[in-house]
Amino acid sequence: MIHNYLLLSIILFCLGIVGVISRRNVFTVFMSIELMLNAANLAFVAFSRFHENMDGHVLAMMVMAVAAAEAALALAVVILLHKHKSKLDTNVFSLLKG
Amino acid sequence: MFEHVLSVIIFLPILAGLLLLVTPASKTIARFTGLVISLATLVLSVDLYAGFSATGHLEFVEYIPWVQSLGVAYHLGVDGISLFILMAGSVLLPMVYFVFSTKEKGYYANLLIVQGAMAGAVCAADMILFYIFWEIMLLPVFFMLGLYGGPKKLPATLKITLYTIAGSLLMLAAIVYLGVSYHAQFNEWTFAMDKMAQLNLSGRVAVFAFFGFMIAFAIKIPLFPFHTWLPDAYTEAPTAATFVLSAIMAKIGVYGVIRFVVPVFDEQFARFAILLAYSGVIGMMYCGIAAIAQKDFKRMLAFSSASHMGIIALGVFCMNMQALTGSIYQIVAHATSTGVLFLFAGILEDRTQTRTIEDLGGIASKAPVFALYFAIAMLASVGLPGTSGFIGEFMIILGAIKFNTAVGVLAGTTLIIGVCYMLWMFQKVFFQNTTPTSENFKDLTLVEGLTFLPVIILIIVMGIYPQPFLSKITPSTALHFAQNESVVAHQAVTTHALLPELTIEQK
Amino acid sequence: MEQSVNYLGLIPLFPLLGAVLIGLVHVFTCKKIKVPEMVYGILACVGPVLSFIMALKVFVALKALPAESRFLGHKVFTWFSVGDLHIDMGFLADPLSCLMLLFVTLIGSLIHIYSIGYMGGDKNYGKFFSYMNLFLGSMLILVLGDSPVVMFVGWEGVGLCSYLLISFYSEDKQNVLAGNKAFIVNRIGDLGFVLGMSFLFWGIGSQGFDYISLKANVHHLSPAIALTVGLLLFVGATGKSAQIPLYVWLPDAMAGPTPVSALIHAATMVTAGVYMVARFSFLYAHVELAGSIIAWTGILTALLAAIFGMFQDDIKKVLAYSTVSQLGYMFAGVGVAAYSAGIFHVFTHAFFKALLFLGAGSVIYALHHEQNIWKMGGLKSKMPKTYITMVIGALALAGCPPFSGFFSKDEILYSALASGHFGIWMVGVLVAGMTAYYTFRMIFVVFHGEPRDQKAFDHAHESPGVMTVPLIILAVGALFAGFLNLPAIFGGDQIVSHWLAPSLTEHHPHTSIFVEILAIGASVVAFVIGIKIAYTKFGQGASEPAFSGFTKFAYNKFYVDEVYNAIIVQPYKAIGSSIWKVLEPNVTDGPVKAASKLYMAIGTAFKVFQVGYVRVYAIYMIVGLSIMSLFLSQSLN
Repeated sequence: MIHNYLLLSIILFCLGIVGVISRRNVFTVFMSIELMLNAANLAFVAFSRFHENMDGHVLAMMVMAVAAAEAALALAVVILLHKHKSKLDTNVFSLLKG
Repeated sequence: MFEHVLSVIIFLPILAGLLLLVTPASKTIARFTGLVISLATLVLSVDLYAGFSATGHLEFVEYIPWVQSLGVAYHLGVDGISLFILMAGSVLLPMVYFVFSTKEKGYYANLLIVQGAMAGAVCAADMILFYIFWEIMLLPVFFMLGLYGGPKKLPATLKITLYTIAGSLLMLAAIVYLGVSYHAQFNEWTFAMDKMAQLNLSGRVAVFAFFGFMIAFAIKIPLFPFHTWLPDAYTEAPTAATFVLSAIMAKIGVYGVIRFVVPVFDEQFARFAILLAYSGVIGMMYCGIAAIAQKDFKRMLAFSSASHMGIIALGVFCMNMQALTGSIYQIVAHATSTGVLFLFAGILEDRTQTRTIEDLGGIASKAPVFALYFAIAMLASVGLPGTSGFIGEFMIILGAIKFNTAVGVLAGTTLIIGVCYMLWMFQKVFFQNTTPTSENFKDLTLVEGLTFLPVIILIIVMGIYPQPFLSKITPSTALHFAQNESVVAHQAVTTHALLPELTIEQK
Repeated sequence: MEQSVNYLGLIPLFPLLGAVLIGLVHVFTCKKIKVPEMVYGILACVGPVLSFIMALKVFVALKALPAESRFLGHKVFTWFSVGDLHIDMGFLADPLSCLMLLFVTLIGSLIHIYSIGYMGGDKNYGKFFSYMNLFLGSMLILVLGDSPVVMFVGWEGVGLCSYLLISFYSEDKQNVLAGNKAFIVNRIGDLGFVLGMSFLFWGIGSQGFDYISLKANVHHLSPAIALTVGLLLFVGATGKSAQIPLYVWLPDAMAGPTPVSALIHAATMVTAGVYMVARFSFLYAHVELAGSIIAWTGILTALLAAIFGMFQDDIKKVLAYSTVSQLGYMFAGVGVAAYSAGIFHVFTHAFFKALLFLGAGSVIYALHHEQNIWKMGGLKSKMPKTYITMVIGALALAGCPPFSGFFSKDEILYSALASGHFGIWMVGVLVAGMTAYYTFRMIFVVFHGEPRDQKAFDHAHESPGVMTVPLIILAVGALFAGFLNLPAIFGGDQIVSHWLAPSLTEHHPHTSIFVEILAIGASVVAFVIGIKIAYTKFGQGASEPAFSGFTKFAYNKFYVDEVYNAIIVQPYKAIGSSIWKVLEPNVTDGPVKAASKLYMAIGTAFKVFQVGYVRVYAIYMIVGLSIMSLFLSQSLN
């Protein structure tokens, strides 16, 4: 039965990858990354159930916490980027120089 | 004489320099601090010299274990070979603070740091410690050249830095190789220099390690064909940095060869000595001949310095006692003569705002004291008997003749090559009629005259009565050859391939 | 065997201290106050005169010893000692060095006194005397040094002083160039000397590197090394004593003040090479080939310089070439193993050549620094003392019996003939005739006939006493020095040769009286013919001749300087600038530049991947991770 969960997880992960690669809006890219994290979470939980221990759950909780922290930072960065160039297109931000 | 005198000589200038850099001290305070610290170091060094008993072994040893699991130790000591390089630094550096009174704070601070680091490199008896000081030594030069150098300072800085770092990395690899080999052969971790001589190294990796060391030192000396950073760096560097580079730092390269390469890689050294000797001799001729084409007197002195370093290095490669002792003596002689010449070039540049030989003339009639000092230093540099330059040069040529007739004859041409460019320069700058640039040249002030006087006297004393100095060196060189008998024995068969009928029989 | 006396070191020390003292006084006062010339003059003469007195003392001490143990030594301190190499700063007085000592200090003192007058009014009066004293000190070290290395100190020291004094009038570029030339050419010779010393040391030096030990061990030296050492040392001598091929510096050296030419470039320094060969007679006596090479080099130099001397129009250049020529004779003498004859010629030559130079200086002084003989003429009425003394010098130089030069030159030619060097003897006789010719050409043109430059003639005057007295003393020497070594055929007993015998390794060949008479007769005939031709051409006054063909070639000194310039100096400079402009940036620095270019190229190649878009970096990351996972899964299976 784990195959189905894993399949779903892979599909979600690939959707996330495609989003990161193809979309240019910073928010969309950000949401795609969240999607990838959640795909991983799904896999963790599925394996946890499969192996009948709690390790996967622990990691899933950890990922969620990291995702929340990341979201806070990322949104702050996005606001700064918007202030700087008034745009949210990733192609605009192609130089490290500020 | 107290116990940790070497540590004080090393760390007093380094700490003072760092302190100057982090505090908002003024130029005057910086210069004054530098002067006091360097004079204090000089006093300590003179005390050290007086207390040195010339046993041939390391003296004033300090030993504190550092990284015990790898056998790295804070291990210091001086013998007759390192003592003289240490002394050259201590004697010469105070002059810079006397003569150049209006430089930036960082100029003096860096000078202090480099003095300490150089002392550290020559006193270190542990290879890792040596490597650390060796690298620290480069940093102040990097800053002095990059911050206070001439118009084309940036390419010159980049070149010297990359060049020396490339060499250093090769040396680091070789040091690690030695440590690992020692562990493999004796099942004990150590990086002590004196223990490395017991290593029995052979095979291809040992040759690579040998060249790792050799290239690092060849770059520092600089030995042909690794000298190409030198003309740019010496010319563009501020006078004090040129002075430090030529008078002392280059000598630490030679010192490294004597200390690391000869005792440890005896077999490889004996095999490649002829190659290295030719490299030294060709470098001497190449740079000496190139010197005559220079229009810039500082660059001419740079080539002259490289030329002399070729001869000094040759003395080490000849593998006999006269040549090696001559080399060490010549290290000091060259430090005093060429070092002082670079300072004089700095004075010329400061007062006339030009470095072009053709722009100058007739200075001898305008500044007789300066001309006299310059002439004495110049004559020492061309190896006139009665000055310090002769003793070392003579012994090196003597030793080179025994090592290999062809090398010896070529080495002898230094007598002619040196005198050609020096006289030519002296004629244009000091003789003939004055030019508008040199019209108002002021002679040395009283302070400057008194500052240079001890060194000028030293040049003459070292030429007329060298035995007290030599007697401190010879026990160490004798021991050096006693420990490396295989090198000496090997030499007898490798030499005189060119002129077998002139082979001098071994006594 | 060797008696130690503690005053030998003082002999060079006096002039050296004088040099330091005068030099310091001059350097520190020349910009501010003018020290009276008399102070310098007195300071300068004290050292040489004291040295002369000490030399007399040495002579008396040596004389008191039995002939075979006439060695006085003094080791002042250990100079340097490394391994087998042990060099003492030691001095050795034996008959040979004592003879040199006596005439060097005597003539040196006289020339110092003469210079007080000649240099009067020069702004660098102090500097001149400082250099002169330094020179005398170095020369005395050269003469007294008890090992080749100590000798080398003096050897290079006199070279330095020669350089300093040639470029004394340093505002003029030509003078400085002449000085540079002298120093550099001397250095070429010194290279030979150093190499010779090195070979000698590795041959037999480890038992002691002073002359006495070397002499004792010389038989251990293998023939090949002995020949090498002999020839290399002779290379040193050709540089210092102006022999082929290194003679070119000496004529140019006349740019210095005339007393310098007299002291350094005629009487003392240039004879150092001959002295050195005589010093090493124990070595040269064993290598006949080296001796022959020396003798032929010497006699050919004598011939060449005599040819040049016949066409010079500068009074000092005539004398310079005659010096080169006479030095050639000396080498011919020591080359055929007649060391005492060579040294005796050094001795007499010092008197008459110093006399001629000082006389020429007196003429130049009187004519306000005019040196061209074709602007002189008829001066004998104006300067009688100078004229008479110079004629004495000229007769000695030309080899007129019974002047000193006749005996010494004849001794050399006789030795060459007696030892079977017939060719050398023939050339020597020819050169003797040429010498008579060019010497009297100079005397006739300068002192006889009508004045060519009336204005200069009217202003001419006899020089002051401080200059003429040394001339007269030297003239006495030039007249009578020859009698010191009167050969048996004239009823003498060769005092000088017997005096020198303990220092030298030589054999006197025994020949018939006929050979001796032949040698003397040929010399006299050559002298008479030479002087006759000179008299017919110039005796009644002559105008400056025009040169063409061979004479023009000889007038331009066979273009040797030009050839040297073209094949040595210019190529050397060209190599220097091509190293600097072509080799250094392109070849030697090539690998370094190539390395930096390589890094640039690698950087440029990888730059295309660095587009700056986040998406693209994400693709790289994903591709990389995928590849890594693939490998991981592979390795798990």
